[in-house]
Amino acid sequence: MVSRDRLGALLMLAFSLGYGVLSFRIPLLAFQAEAAFTARSMPQALALLGAVLSLILLIKPGSTAGPQVAGFRWGGVALLCVLMVLYGLSVRPAGFLISTSLFLMGGFVVLGERRIWLILAASVPMVVFFWVLMTQFLGVFIEPWPEFLRR
Amino acid sequence: MLDGILIGLSTAITPINILMVMAGCLVGTFIGMLPGLGPISAIALMIPITYGFDPASGMILMAGVYYGAIFGGSTSSILINAPGVAGTVATAFDGYPMARAGHAGKALAIAAYASFSGGSIAAVFLLIAAPSLAVVSLAFQSTDYFALMVLGLTAVAAFAGKGQIVKALMMTVLGLMISTVGTDQTQGVQRFTLGTMDLIDGVSFLLLAMATFALSEALMAVLKPKSAADIARERDAQSNLGSMKLSKAEVREMAPVVGRSSVLGFFIGVLPGAGATIASFLAYGMEQRLAGPKKAAEFGKGSIRGLAAPETANNAACSGSFVPLLTLGIPGSGTTAIMLGALLSYGVQPGPRLFLDNPEVFWSVIVSMYIGNVVLLILNLPLIPYIARILALPPTVLIPMILFFSLIGVYFVSFNTFDIHLMVIFAVAAVVLRLLEFPMAPMLLGFILGGMMEENLRRALIINNDSWSFLWERPLTFAILSIAALILVAPMIAPRIARVLARRREAAGEGG
Repeated sequence: MVSRDRLGALLMLAFSLGYGVLSFRIPLLAFQAEAAFTARSMPQALALLGAVLSLILLIKPGSTAGPQVAGFRWGGVALLCVLMVLYGLSVRPAGFLISTSLFLMGGFVVLGERRIWLILAASVPMVVFFWVLMTQFLGVFIEPWPEFLRR
Repeated sequence: MLDGILIGLSTAITPINILMVMAGCLVGTFIGMLPGLGPISAIALMIPITYGFDPASGMILMAGVYYGAIFGGSTSSILINAPGVAGTVATAFDGYPMARAGHAGKALAIAAYASFSGGSIAAVFLLIAAPSLAVVSLAFQSTDYFALMVLGLTAVAAFAGKGQIVKALMMTVLGLMISTVGTDQTQGVQRFTLGTMDLIDGVSFLLLAMATFALSEALMAVLKPKSAADIARERDAQSNLGSMKLSKAEVREMAPVVGRSSVLGFFIGVLPGAGATIASFLAYGMEQRLAGPKKAAEFGKGSIRGLAAPETANNAACSGSFVPLLTLGIPGSGTTAIMLGALLSYGVQPGPRLFLDNPEVFWSVIVSMYIGNVVLLILNLPLIPYIARILALPPTVLIPMILFFSLIGVYFVSFNTFDIHLMVIFAVAAVVLRLLEFPMAPMLLGFILGGMMEENLRRALIINNDSWSFLWERPLTFAILSIAALILVAPMIAPRIARVLARRREAAGEGG
């Protein structure tokens, strides 16, 4: 099995190489091409440094232990990530109050909360309180209602 | 200096700013107490709220949050053996055994008094050291700043611990790489924007900090749930705090420890990259050595000295870490890096000019640190039995709340839903890196310093007619870069030298 350090090194090596390739696509203006330091200089130096460090870790890892992932709740984390993405997609069209309340309720349920009163009490009043605090006291306006209810 | 203290006092002792310190300490304690959430997350969560404030009030609030979070971290270390931050890991060595022996209240009181003393003594040092260094640093040029930033970044990696140096360096480089995304400030060309308009302004530091700390820590808590035995143990610790009173003998035993650890903590905190964690471990080790065989045997089993030393040192180091931030504009730790980002967002440029251009920010932060310590002692200590109840909040409720506050904190700044999706990507990447045991703080530091480093290097090259000779021709730059090289190489070479010397001694012993 690949050790933690080697796996990390491989990931960083791939990232550094990708970053290095993209650095050659940074546009340079004609008069900048001959300068000692251009917009490409630092990214290319970093890509090289990243690749060298990754190779060092790959050749000489600090630990040979494999990743410890037994008993992890991958499903819960994946569902929470999906919820966050959906929240990002819905916060504008559905408005702050509804989308946030649903996000929190969804989060509680995903993590195993089944008490209805707690799910409702910890989401709706908190969201309304937060919205009032932000809009009325801190002067940050955020649309509360869905698009079809807006005038 | 007296004028400065008066400016600081007149700014800090206004009703609104005293309220800021109090609110900061209280909120910081709450957040710091939650296992996994440290001062970086606590401050990051506060930033969107402070955008509307004036810089002095915002910084005062954040300084309060910083102290509160460290204190909160100590509380969870002592009560449930779950340090919220690395800086309070050493606190759990003796604090948790004391709590298990039924002296949780006493352990919390020792932690509070030690934190107060360490923070107060260090605030006096800061009062003296910061203005002096600010005056000296006026002579610094962009070449020196570039070298100082290299020193800061290498020091973070060098102090990362055994087997972690290369990983910390890699994370620093990753942070520097992320800082290059967006429009190049000098030449106006786009870099790594992948054709999307949303990345033209680059990645915001708040987004990165929230995603890689608050979000990823919350996801890690879901990934690795606690066992039923752990939950039962935590409930028991919260309900039986015991007396908080200390005897005269205990105070006498603590006093010299506090004095020594304050001095050590402050100077370690000033070093870029070292910070509260190294300070607390060094103070613990130093006191164990100084304690004598009988008292040293108590270390790890509930020793008062073993608890007071790291608690004093980590708070003193927090004050110390403000010296490079306020005087040079260079953060020495992940937490001060996020404070630097906050200052920049207020339009305040930390560094030697801060002392001259915004004296009210400079001095009020220093004065508010002392006030923060007083608030922690008189407000938080009596409230601890009540604040500790937050640990009883079920994670099923707490974690979605943390996710919500992190996401909305970033969204309220940009009002761009792309940021929410970018946060999820960064958070997932951070979870993977955490599982592979890559440290996150060097990445944040690299990100914050990246832009400034590139700008200073470019400016230095323009001043020197595109010649790199300033690296070795200007004595101050050369000296700082040499120290950086030494710091980087020393941890790799030191064990080899020690092995060679040990072999020679053995050979000499056999020969003799």
